[in-house]
Amino acid sequence: MLLRSLVQETDAPVDSAPSALAERHNVRISGRPDGPVLLFAHGFGCDRSMWRRVLPYFEDGFRVVAFDHMGSGRSDLHHYDPEKYSTLDGYAADILALCEDLELHEVVLVAHSVATMMAVVAAIEEPDRFRRLVFVAPSPSYIDDPGDGYVGGFTQQDIDGLLESLDSNYFAWSASLAPVIMGNPGTPVLTDELETSFCRTDPDTARTFARVSFLSDIRSRLADLRVPSLILQCSEDMLAPLEVGRYLDERLAGSTLVELAATGHVPQASAPEETAQAILQYLSAAAR
Amino acid sequence: MITAADYEQLFAHAPCGYLITDEKWLITAANATFLAWTGYTSDDVVGTFLARMMPMGDRLLHTTRSVPQMQLTGTVSEVSLEIVDASGKPRAALLTATRSVNHDGGVEHRVIIFSAHERRRYELELVSARRRAEESEARSVRAEAGLQHLALHDSLTSLPNRAGLALILERGLTGRAPGASIAVLFVDLDHFKSVNDSLGHNAGDELLTVVAQRLSSTLSSAGTVARLAGDEFVVVEHVGSATDATVLAERLLEMVNRPLEIEGLEVVCSASIGIALADDESSEPEKLLRWADIAMYRAKARGRNTWEVHDPSEVDPAVNRMRLLGELRHGIEGGQLRVHYQPRMTIATSVISGVEALVRWEHPTRGLLQPAEFIDLAEESGLIRELGAWVLDAAVQQGAQWSRLGDGNAPVSIAVNLSARQLADPQLACMVQASLTRYGFDPSLLTLEITETALMENPVMARKVLTTLKALGVGLAIDDFGTGYASLTYLKEFPIDELKIDRSFVSGLGTSDGDCAIVSSCIQLAHAVGIRAVAEGVETDYQRSTLLTMGCDLAQGFHYSRPLAPELLEDWITAQPPSVASGRAAGPGPAHAEPDDDVEMLAAV
Repeated sequence: MLLRSLVQETDAPVDSAPSALAERHNVRISGRPDGPVLLFAHGFGCDRSMWRRVLPYFEDGFRVVAFDHMGSGRSDLHHYDPEKYSTLDGYAADILALCEDLELHEVVLVAHSVATMMAVVAAIEEPDRFRRLVFVAPSPSYIDDPGDGYVGGFTQQDIDGLLESLDSNYFAWSASLAPVIMGNPGTPVLTDELETSFCRTDPDTARTFARVSFLSDIRSRLADLRVPSLILQCSEDMLAPLEVGRYLDERLAGSTLVELAATGHVPQASAPEETAQAILQYLSAAAR
Repeated sequence: MITAADYEQLFAHAPCGYLITDEKWLITAANATFLAWTGYTSDDVVGTFLARMMPMGDRLLHTTRSVPQMQLTGTVSEVSLEIVDASGKPRAALLTATRSVNHDGGVEHRVIIFSAHERRRYELELVSARRRAEESEARSVRAEAGLQHLALHDSLTSLPNRAGLALILERGLTGRAPGASIAVLFVDLDHFKSVNDSLGHNAGDELLTVVAQRLSSTLSSAGTVARLAGDEFVVVEHVGSATDATVLAERLLEMVNRPLEIEGLEVVCSASIGIALADDESSEPEKLLRWADIAMYRAKARGRNTWEVHDPSEVDPAVNRMRLLGELRHGIEGGQLRVHYQPRMTIATSVISGVEALVRWEHPTRGLLQPAEFIDLAEESGLIRELGAWVLDAAVQQGAQWSRLGDGNAPVSIAVNLSARQLADPQLACMVQASLTRYGFDPSLLTLEITETALMENPVMARKVLTTLKALGVGLAIDDFGTGYASLTYLKEFPIDELKIDRSFVSGLGTSDGDCAIVSSCIQLAHAVGIRAVAEGVETDYQRSTLLTMGCDLAQGFHYSRPLAPELLEDWITAQPPSVASGRAAGPGPAHAEPDDDVEMLAAV
């Protein structure tokens, strides 16, 4: 499974002649060119390779587009503007710009973790651009709000600790080549290229991204969202407690909550099949 | 031969911590080294998620990065984190792990944990040094930006100052598209000084702020307003043609002319605007500003509240002015000044009641110059005292001469203008007295005219000076009445005998109801406080008859006669019938052929 998806990564059919903007965001397009559009937006901590195990499930029926947020993965850091990317709006604007540039319409936007907040902002801004939103392990705010009893799961100090941890990993992340692990007979041999580039992140942009991810609060904007959505809630998700999925479901118009058996925060990596099937089912039900 | 027991020994007492976890990072085994390092027992750790032993920040990173990385690539290496030991103390460590299949066929993670205390300390030091460097760089960038803003902007209006304008012009001129033009408009408020002097500096500042806003609001987003100094503004705007620039100038004037309220008073401002255009040949910022400045001076000379476009053939007036100043100084000493006299008529009888003395300069090469061409210069340079003293002396001498003749062809009373600077001269009263005594002239035949604006520069001082002059027995008149900001309270307190209604209102008689009402009110006001009303700039018979109906006492203007040299005046008087029928316009000069140039005669600027 792992190997196949890795091969898929390198050999997948990719649209020719990507635009400058697409190149800037390391866009990868695969699947049926005339199919409905699925746009995948990754969350904090990684890049579009986070999706690699689920993408094959969609490539038969959809036009599949995945990209790196500016500052993550292989995005072109020449275009990184610290001010723009210190708010969700900057990232949301990029999503809309990509849709415009690639002429994506009736988009199903699949967003993970903090990218779900960007998806909300983008879909409020341009509701007609999106047909459905799929929120994977979403949260509208990670910080507890004692004022109204909201449980986000973390305190401000927790987030400060995260920024400190980012600093302690600074040199590991900024190394041009991630340390190469010694051979391990139990695991498949990875190609050097994949191994060294996986979730490559610039430590300085990661810091800004962490701030945006963990300090943003879009609860007050939820009521403005008109695009129907699917909420995929994992069990034992350290970042998004069960309450958060229910909180969102109660406040979003036209939402569907699915609680996955998958554990952790990244079901598209840990349980790709379950995650993909939940999305496919939702979309086929929506199409009926 | 290495036995299984040896391997177990190796696992248990390896020089680093070994952990085995399941796919969900739940610990299934820990070696003795790890337990000794952390102080936990095997029971403490087995069955616990590894992330539980990390501080929150590391836990978040582990969840968002290491967990998916392991799932997708099967390895994580040298992740810097902390393990919270049994005593609650965080211990720096490096984590490396691989994913393997165990003997049951299930997935397990083999985790190595190195103590990395020194390395972490070292790395954190490096990072914090980096953060400090970033912070200090950011601070110096901020400080520099702040300083630069201060250096390039005017603190009152926040508009760019001269230096800021230079930068903007430089950038605008180099960056403009070929064929596009940039207009530089030099905007100078008219009579701003009198606002500042009569209403105070706070009012002046408020006025400047409002004007700054109004000018800015007139421009496109690409346009700029800068404040150079005092009441001087410069507008820079992209234009397609010279016409665009003049249309803009009109709009700017219109904005400036809108009434505004300052400290409860309604004030109407005007401005003079000079326009210079950058084309492909001329695009030096300094030169453009200079040209706009030159054109602005021409707009001022043309009567203010108007605009002029720079004419490349024009000589630089600054050079001109310096030369003129030297010539004027020389001209006063060298006897080039002349005094001409304009009859002041009793309206009801059309009989001459006196004359107003008006200075002329017989320039050796430029001919007879009107006051408008040199009085501002004299006032600014301080030469006005000398000049004013000379005019007063000459007029008194002439008056005395006419008095002595005592025949019917000589005028009796003489009016002489005083400037604002003369009013502030402590020697003024002595000087007047000296002239009167020198020529034995009856003080009651001398009227001194002071503009309303000059009086309001310092009303308290003005009142003292007027009182002293009054004590000499001379008459006093307020000149150009209606153009300043005199309050009626002051008017009542000044010991004056005459109100001279400004020509701008008189010229509106018959065409403007507003002017008509103003003239009528001025006459009534004068009579109410028991003084004469004099109309200046009477040019038509209609104006004369209207003034007569309104009860105005005296009038002067081209309708009767332009200012004349003394001998011509005598001829003019001789030519008048002893009892003139009303409406008769006469005199040696072309009564209506040229505009009356004495508008600014000795008026304070």
